[in-house]
Amino acid sequence: MGLSCDDLDAMLPEFLDGSVSKDEEVLAAEHLATCEACTAELSELQSVTQLYRTHGTMQLPDEARERISAVLGLES
Amino acid sequence: MTTANRSETIDKPISRLFGQFADAIYTLGYRIVGDRHLAEDVVQETFMKVMRSLPAYRGEGPIGGWIYRIGYREAITVTRMRREDPIDPTTFTVTSLASGASVEREVLNIELVGRLDDAMHQLSEPVRAAFTLRDIQGLPTSEVASILQVSESAVKMRLARAREALRVQLKEYL
Repeated sequence: MGLSCDDLDAMLPEFLDGSVSKDEEVLAAEHLATCEACTAELSELQSVTQLYRTHGTMQLPDEARERISAVLGLES
Repeated sequence: MTTANRSETIDKPISRLFGQFADAIYTLGYRIVGDRHLAEDVVQETFMKVMRSLPAYRGEGPIGGWIYRIGYREAITVTRMRREDPIDPTTFTVTSLASGASVEREVLNIELVGRLDDAMHQLSEPVRAAFTLRDIQGLPTSEVASILQVSESAVKMRLARAREALRVQLKEYL
């Protein structure tokens, strides 16, 4: 028997992390092939992660880097 | 310890670790504390502690995990003493901007980054920390669990909560 929307929803965290088994992956793919709502939700969740991975990392400003290096006694 | 010894056993490794992890700890600090100046303090205090503790470090697990753990604890300590400070979106790394991108595009990106930031700060601190380490910095779930000193299932629960809340808040950008 295939997965329901609730089944897939419960599996989403593992699915997004790529930590589902091969069998679960096949079942999820079968459900997604026929369910627009779950496909849309999965796509949005993947987009959230992608947005933050692209825009969410920060660089320590050069001025702070130099100041902290000096405090640590490191040669710049 | 002689100056030469100190250089070999502390300064060089610290310099390498600082180069390797400073941005990551700054990102973690900012994402938890929400203030760029306090995030700089988190970086400084973290590496002060790393420098003091490095000689006693026994190599249990990846050294990155050990540094993240110290950074996380520092961020929590700073959060408790947090003062309000306006967020400056220009401190973010807008890595998707191609060279020669239009000014209009750049403004839209800065606006987007501001929205991402606002959305994230609606999350609770434990949820934000899990999301930062797993989804922004790409650490394995097992390592995130070790850094936050919680179970892997707790990390997964926090991630699910974060992703769903952010999906709803950022619907117009997805």
